[in-house]
Amino acid sequence: MTLRKLFFATISAAAVMMASPSFAATELQVQRFFGACDADFGKNTDVSKAVGECGIITSLINKFAADNPDIKVNVTTVEWPGYDQLTAQFASGDAPDIVTIHESALSDYQSKGLLMPLDDLLKTVGVTPDQFTDAAKQGATKDGKIYGLPLDNWTMLYHINMGLFKQAGLVNADGTPMLPKSPEELLAQAEQFKQKTGKPYFVQNLANETALFTRNLYTYLFQQNSDFFADPKKVKFNTPEAKKVVEMYKAIYDKDYTTKNLDYAGAINAFLAGEGGVQLNGTWVVGDYNAQSEKPGTALNKGGYAVYPYPQLFSGAHAQYADGHTWAVSKKDRTPEQTAAIGKFLKFFADNDFEWSRTGHLPAYKAVIDSAKFKALPHRDTIAAIATLGKPLPSQVQRQFAIQDIVGEEMSAAVSGQKPVDKALADMESRVNELLANL
Amino acid sequence: MAEPLTATAGNGSRAKSVDIYAPQWRNFLFVAPYLFIFAAFLVFPLFWGVWLSFHKADTFSSGRFIGFDNYVRLFRDGIFLQSIWNTFYFVFLTVPALALIGLFLALCLNRQTRSAAVLRTLFFSSSVLSVTIVTLIWRIVYIPDMGLLSMIYGFFGAKAPAFLSDPDLAMIGIAIATVWWCIGLPMMLFLSALQQIPQDIYEAAALDNANRWQTLRSITLPSIKRTFVLVVIIQIVFQFQLFGQAWLMTKGGPNNLTKPIVLYIYNTAFQRWDIGMGAAASEILFLLILVAAMAQFLLTRRKADA
Repeated sequence: MTLRKLFFATISAAAVMMASPSFAATELQVQRFFGACDADFGKNTDVSKAVGECGIITSLINKFAADNPDIKVNVTTVEWPGYDQLTAQFASGDAPDIVTIHESALSDYQSKGLLMPLDDLLKTVGVTPDQFTDAAKQGATKDGKIYGLPLDNWTMLYHINMGLFKQAGLVNADGTPMLPKSPEELLAQAEQFKQKTGKPYFVQNLANETALFTRNLYTYLFQQNSDFFADPKKVKFNTPEAKKVVEMYKAIYDKDYTTKNLDYAGAINAFLAGEGGVQLNGTWVVGDYNAQSEKPGTALNKGGYAVYPYPQLFSGAHAQYADGHTWAVSKKDRTPEQTAAIGKFLKFFADNDFEWSRTGHLPAYKAVIDSAKFKALPHRDTIAAIATLGKPLPSQVQRQFAIQDIVGEEMSAAVSGQKPVDKALADMESRVNELLANL
Repeated sequence: MAEPLTATAGNGSRAKSVDIYAPQWRNFLFVAPYLFIFAAFLVFPLFWGVWLSFHKADTFSSGRFIGFDNYVRLFRDGIFLQSIWNTFYFVFLTVPALALIGLFLALCLNRQTRSAAVLRTLFFSSSVLSVTIVTLIWRIVYIPDMGLLSMIYGFFGAKAPAFLSDPDLAMIGIAIATVWWCIGLPMMLFLSALQQIPQDIYEAAALDNANRWQTLRSITLPSIKRTFVLVVIIQIVFQFQLFGQAWLMTKGGPNNLTKPIVLYIYNTAFQRWDIGMGAAASEILFLLILVAAMAQFLLTRRKADA
């Protein structure tokens, strides 16, 4: 009898355990880029142990799921930036609930009425726009409403191998790297670097790349006060300012001051292997590179790793191209429980923005950016200036990712000598304007 | 005992005969499932595509009628013309290679030995891989400084060519990966054709003291002529639709030199949300493939007449 009772008790307990989550769980479909790293962080809920964008976002979502057993989070990881897929999902009425969208891409979806304004929902969980940094608030606001929970602001940086800089004699007396102040100085320093180290000054991912070229062009157009998007529907690229930038990068290419045939992953590997002085990459690798530099035996450990904003090469505004990541919410009919679950998820990310800022991104919350623990993170003293330097394209400019591809293709053709600079700039301008005229 | 086809009444007067081959509406039910799928997923989209190509449509709205504007924009777009040229160039690079290498492999492996069987399987095995895996493998081969190619060149102290970013080599790089991937089907088609040639013709040739070259030229090749045409046409139609390899290996670069028509359609319709113009470009591709298919029809019909 006792055995039979025990048997039934066990069966009942097992049934209850198996059934209970499916009764209670509210499902959230979350879609994100930032890569997949389940082998390292798939089960990690201790966010402080995670490094890098992928590690931290994976661990944060794991932690949220662990803290909220009543919410089942289904994560889909898409290849960066994932907009082709997202657009198709929206078109077929199968969009995820919560999705990562760049500030620069928000208006594409917002203007079509596909996103839910978040002001009211955020207010219910105690997140208000006045908590955001100015840059984050500006980036997430469209037509006066918040359309994405800002995660960060990001920009491009000079990631520097200090060992090679010392070898090249490009270090100031105070131990900081010597950075150029004009295009001529940049070329001179790159030449000196090449002579002394036998390696290229820049490690760039130029193989079939568009984003890097575009960000470089925008940055140095800003620095020359070129208001190329004065009219968000009509761009001006065929200008002397743009020509100066393209010719500078062409000289870098022609004189072998840069790696040439690497793709993105190849460029990261090359920089970490010490094959060049400066890698042009974003804020998102600061955490990873810093971790590498602390590992004995690595190229960055030898002479150190430093990171700086793009140097001011022209006499105009002190600025560089910036963007930001947000969590946007698709417009859908939802139960109050589902909406509440989304609110909880967004609140969790707002509360944990410090963890996210360990990637190297700039925090989206004033409380974090002003906090001592953020300022104490490695290299934040040298890159703190990006908070004021960062400048996005005007938010009314639509299809910024499609524009980025056109600009990058044409600039790449000019830099590598496949097209004369003037022709590339003329084509760039006419192709972008053709796109914008037919929205 | 089989039932008689016609039933005869006992008193000798002939009842109305039932022809089981007569058309019956209920037989339509047998093909209805296929017809439904054919109509829903092929015929309807075909006409919808044509309709869209005359409209200013984006991903989220079908827009207004604009006549031939999308087509005019297409033919003014240098990138579209470039993509047509790229597609033809790719077909030119891959189709002859696939036909000739496929034939060569089939001739070599058309024997009943175990090693031939193993090699046949080996050469066919690449065909079962998905485009993602194929391009991953070939990226690992081509990747500068770390790839297989650069290792091999490294042994000889040379620098490997940048197959994925050199404007002159990028399309050739994609073509090599494609030939490696697609060689299985032409080889198998040629093998099956070779095995259908009656052995007695070869015996007669042997009696006439024909050498191997004469046998190949006068017996083997003429016997598989129709298969050769079939392989060429199938491959033209298939390779015209290049997309995955170009998208995953070069993204259409450098400078749009490896952007085929399908990738142009993808860029236009799904990245720029210009569905109308994407549909117009699809119609042009449809016409190009239609011409290839008609060529096959005419060629094979002429053969049947002869």
